[in-house]
Amino acid sequence: MLLQLNNIFKWVNSGGQRVFLLKDINLEVEEGEFISIMGPSGSGKSTLLNVIGMLDAFDEGEYNFMDESVHTLKEKHRANLYKQYIGFVFQAYHLIDELTVYENLEMPLLYKNMKSSERKAVVADMLDRFNIVGKKDLFPTQLSGGQQQLVGVARALIGKPKLILADEPTGNLNSQQGEEIMEIFKQLNSEGVTVIQVTHSEKNAGYGSRIINLLDGRKIEG
Amino acid sequence: MFKNYLKIAWRNLTKNKGYSIINIGGLALGLTVTILIGLWIFDETTYNTNFKNHGHIAQILVNKTNNGETRTRFTLPYPLADELRNTYAGDFEHVVMGSFPGDNILSVEEKNLNEYGAFMEKDALRMFSLHMLKGNHDALNDPNSIVISESTAKAFFGNEDPMGKTMKINNDRNVTVKGVFEELPTNADIFDALRAFTESEKLQFIAPWDLYVASNDWVKTARDRKLWDNNSYQVYVQISDRSSMHAVNDKIKNILYDHVPEGSKQSDPKIFLHPMKDWHLKSSFKNGVSVGGAIQYVRMFGIIGIFVLLLACINFMNLSTARAQKRAKEVGIRKTVGSNKNQLVGQFMFESFVVTLSAFVLAIVLVALLLPLFNQLADKQIVLPFFNPIFWSIGLGLVLATSIMAGSYPALYLSSFRPMKVLKGSLLTGTSAMSFRKALVIIQFTVSIILVVGTVVVNRQIQHTKNQPIGYDKSELIMVEKNTEDFEGKYNSLREALKKTGVVAEMAESSSPLTEIWHSNGGYEWEGKDPSFMTNINSNYVSHDFGKTVGWEMAQGRDFSRDFASDSTAYILNEAAVEYMNLQDPIGKTIRWSDGEHKVIGVVKNLITESPFEPVKQCIYTIRYDETNLINLKLAPSKSPTESLAQIETVFQKFAPSVPFEYQFVDAAFGNKFKTEERMRKLSGIFSFLALFISCLGLFGLATFMAEQRTKEIGIRKVLGASISSLFKMLSKDFAVLILVSGVIAIPVAYYFMEQWLQNYTYRIAIPLWVFGAAILGVLLVAIFTISFQAIRAAKQNPVESLRTE
Ligand SMILES: Nc1ncnc2c1ncn2[C@@H]1O[C@H](COP(=O)(O)OP(=O)(O)OP(=O)(O)O)[C@@H](O)[C@H]1O
Ligand SMILES: [Mg+2]
Repeated sequence: MLLQLNNIFKWVNSGGQRVFLLKDINLEVEEGEFISIMGPSGSGKSTLLNVIGMLDAFDEGEYNFMDESVHTLKEKHRANLYKQYIGFVFQAYHLIDELTVYENLEMPLLYKNMKSSERKAVVADMLDRFNIVGKKDLFPTQLSGGQQQLVGVARALIGKPKLILADEPTGNLNSQQGEEIMEIFKQLNSEGVTVIQVTHSEKNAGYGSRIINLLDGRKIEG
Repeated sequence: MFKNYLKIAWRNLTKNKGYSIINIGGLALGLTVTILIGLWIFDETTYNTNFKNHGHIAQILVNKTNNGETRTRFTLPYPLADELRNTYAGDFEHVVMGSFPGDNILSVEEKNLNEYGAFMEKDALRMFSLHMLKGNHDALNDPNSIVISESTAKAFFGNEDPMGKTMKINNDRNVTVKGVFEELPTNADIFDALRAFTESEKLQFIAPWDLYVASNDWVKTARDRKLWDNNSYQVYVQISDRSSMHAVNDKIKNILYDHVPEGSKQSDPKIFLHPMKDWHLKSSFKNGVSVGGAIQYVRMFGIIGIFVLLLACINFMNLSTARAQKRAKEVGIRKTVGSNKNQLVGQFMFESFVVTLSAFVLAIVLVALLLPLFNQLADKQIVLPFFNPIFWSIGLGLVLATSIMAGSYPALYLSSFRPMKVLKGSLLTGTSAMSFRKALVIIQFTVSIILVVGTVVVNRQIQHTKNQPIGYDKSELIMVEKNTEDFEGKYNSLREALKKTGVVAEMAESSSPLTEIWHSNGGYEWEGKDPSFMTNINSNYVSHDFGKTVGWEMAQGRDFSRDFASDSTAYILNEAAVEYMNLQDPIGKTIRWSDGEHKVIGVVKNLITESPFEPVKQCIYTIRYDETNLINLKLAPSKSPTESLAQIETVFQKFAPSVPFEYQFVDAAFGNKFKTEERMRKLSGIFSFLALFISCLGLFGLATFMAEQRTKEIGIRKVLGASISSLFKMLSKDFAVLILVSGVIAIPVAYYFMEQWLQNYTYRIAIPLWVFGAAILGVLLVAIFTISFQAIRAAKQNPVESLRTE
């Protein structure tokens, strides 16, 4: 078992009232799964994914990741866990504008204290794999949306994570670019990497092995 | 990883040039001030440490108490030195008696120069461990020898070897040059403790004590008769390595009391050691105890230096946190790719270090450029210690401390966010960050306002003191020290010759210059005096024409006149003396002194001859041609001074060919009394300007940021019909409130500190309340002017454009 959510609640206080963003979420993910999270806008998909990715806190419930109880971990420990096993792809790319493509890709490796020669090889391999060698010295603002997302995906994969979390990774891309990304995910999945993606597209959801439906922060079966 | 940080830091710096200039420039200014003040403090606190034995050297001072008031003096009787040497041999390595240092005429053939020096016992060279370039520490053993400084040797002998050459002292005695010592460093002075009395001059020669005895009968008398109540000598000692200042103090304190004649025991003389390390900074005594001195300024400027640096750091903190929004995205991303908090803190601290280091480099350049100006202002000869590793390590320490001080808040603040929060951009409204920034701005402007108030108060205190009547007319008045016997008995012919040139309106002689008092006496008696009252009254021995020359004003009675033969023993009192003696109707009263009875013929308005900040002391003027030391000249008006002086010099050369003609304008000498205060005025002016400038720099940055942040809001407001002036008001209001709050905090603090400073002066102003109002208003105007650029620009922006940027 890779991870397990038990009775997760998340809320915000608004005008003295509790507004629930996640309600009683239970979820078990086995290693090697490819899961799609679906649901209408505002149903809490991104929120759930962020919780799974440890980027956001929750208010109640238990979260176990590879036999570690995330809810009791210290920030430093949690960050280590994250950096070791998780790669995150955002809908809004989130590249650092002041760094080049190459440097953006290299950054997670720096945080892993990888040696310089090895780093070079790994980054070169990634650039090659995503066909963006020619763009390595450009800054993100000099790329198209699709190219930026490619870099974002490449960055998520570069640390060889066990779990890839992707929040509408193809939302800003045309269908061909979207398909490319989905193929990459499928390929990785077949190599044993677990993938959880948020998507609005039935077609993309079809790449996965399981679909989780959300409505108003609650998981609905079927 | 460092390379990555460095890249980000560099790209951020170049991308936001405005911020970078404000950040680095402001910090560089702050560091410049800190370094300059640091160098100055180092110079001040290492005074005299060049002397090898400085930890064991002391000057002997004496406390004497009369009428309940204790005064500290350095003049001691002749037999004291021998007593210390013989009876307390175990406690002292050296005991050295010295004359009052001053200008003396040294001559070689036709060349005459006024040189600053003293006569001292032969151990002086060894005790002060003077570095002898020629000769050795025994050079003064021969009573007809002299040791001179390197520059003096050069002035007289050029490149010739000065050793064994003959010189003449004060046109009187021939001496042989037996040694040349290396010029003392600029922050060393063996006569430092006397600075209150003499102008700062470098030691140029030391002549043997025995020569002093041989050429002055009164000294010989004091030696031969062992006069314990003739106080005319200074005594320096080096205590032995085994003793401590404290222990020696205990042993010697009563020596004087035990030896002086009965009549002098009343003043309860107590001697004590004034250690060399305190000569420069702690030579101010009140009621017999040390009350500091120059150390006060060291502390004050130290505090100011730290504050100016703090202001610059605050800018840095403020601008960085204000920009947190822009950096937040980067923080969020870094966290999502695996950075932990410590790494982010490290990154931002590193950026802070890069900025500080650049600022430091810039500051070093600025210091190098400004040092000459600073030296002039502070009356110093400080050099940048480029090759001193200690300086650079302190510099590095300063950089580290500054980068921690300036970078810690932004680093901790930025890295504390949860990644999703920053990526969503929901931290912008953080009210705690806002109030923190406001608090920092308040600190900056509080300090600025305090400094501005300080400057105004110092200014007014100086102005106030300068505006008081000084009792004589100091314009076009010059004084010439006689120094030799050459003018003896030539008074009338000299005066006539000078007046005949037409450039001198009047001439007179006096025993003290107009800006100092060299003599005071006790033992005066008059009718109605309380017999137990111990008198001490200043005296100035003058010639008949003194009053006319200096233009004093008679309050009662008449001036000295040649028409009355009896005037040769008459007294003229100043108003302070009338009050001191409590005389109801002073004219015609008789005052008795050791030399007989004196009639009071006149009372003059007080002449300010000592500190203009203290009440004028009681003074008696009396005619004694044989006791005068100076010639005072009133130049004829409407003549060019340079021409007049040239003509005067010709006359002087005729009367005393071997005496170099040196003069001083009374006006300038009087101005010297304000030297410390003037320096304070200039420095506090500069520092408050810098503080305000740095604060405004930060304010400008903040205003830029605020205007940027509110672009959308401003656009919407304009679409809805807001006018430019209402928008301007909206944008400036917040800042104005901050400055008013600063003002409220600054008032009591500034009041406290300035009251404290004014306590140094008996003659002082009351701090007027309008000063605070004016300072706050002034700072407010400057601040509003600063932000108006940004406010107006934002308010004028085309709303469509500003809305589109979202
Ligand atoms: N910090 C917050 N404060 C208040 N409400 C929030 C906060 N974050 C999210 N929400 C609310 O929680 C709900 C779920 O948000 P979430 O971003 O998870 O939706 P989503 O399913 O990803 O929608 P979309 O498909 O549009 O991306 C929304 O109604 C949103 O308004
Ligand atoms: Mg979403």
